[in-house]
Amino acid sequence: MGLFDAMSIAGSGLTVHRKWLDAVSDNLSNINTVKPTSEEAFRQRYVVAQAVDYGSGRGGATVAGVIFGNAEGRLVHEPGHPLADEGGYVRYPDIDMSSQMTQLIMAQRGYQANIAVVERAQSAYQAALQLGRGGS
Amino acid sequence: MSIGPVNFISPVTGVSPVSTGLAPAEKVSLGAGAGFGSMLADHLGSVRNAQAATDTAAVQAATGDLGDVHDYMIKSAQSGIMTELTVAVRNKAVEAFSEIMRMQV
Repeated sequence: MGLFDAMSIAGSGLTVHRKWLDAVSDNLSNINTVKPTSEEAFRQRYVVAQAVDYGSGRGGATVAGVIFGNAEGRLVHEPGHPLADEGGYVRYPDIDMSSQMTQLIMAQRGYQANIAVVERAQSAYQAALQLGRGGS
Repeated sequence: MSIGPVNFISPVTGVSPVSTGLAPAEKVSLGAGAGFGSMLADHLGSVRNAQAATDTAAVQAATGDLGDVHDYMIKSAQSGIMTELTVAVRNKAVEAFSEIMRMQV
């Protein structure tokens, strides 16, 4: 472990939570994106977080990848819609707004927790610098 | 009662040197001055690298390429602490040096 590992590890955690926030924002902004039945619906984005060098090395987290959700979507009967097919159906994305709002809160709290770690680590290092200041 | 005269004490002929177990003339390789100087040089190198990384992140933030705001703030906090540490080390070294110079011969 090196000098500033606490801050770097918290920084990687901040990146993961920021990407989670981006994914939730993407899902929420496309929650009413309508597609015709001939195409696949807007697929929900899931961010896959992974631990870095678990137990042996630097520590922290990284985003291993993004998984896309259900392509089927919800078939909604809207005959007046310009994109509707002969039966009057269009595809809405299969995204639950309440679960997305919950994830939004979790991502924000995770981000705040990592920021608290960075601040505490910084004040700890500053306190260590004050050690030799008083006496000679 | 009578006290006998003081006899002449035979002089000390030779004292065998105390064997300490150390090999003779084994110089300690790391003198105080050389070790401290190289440590300071390494430290300054890493401080320079940290400041270069901070400057790169600052340029990215100005042009809008910066992906993460916290990245720049963490890097600038790290380079600030490292600079303060270097200054503290230098102050201590100068203080010790002047303490020695003040010694009355």
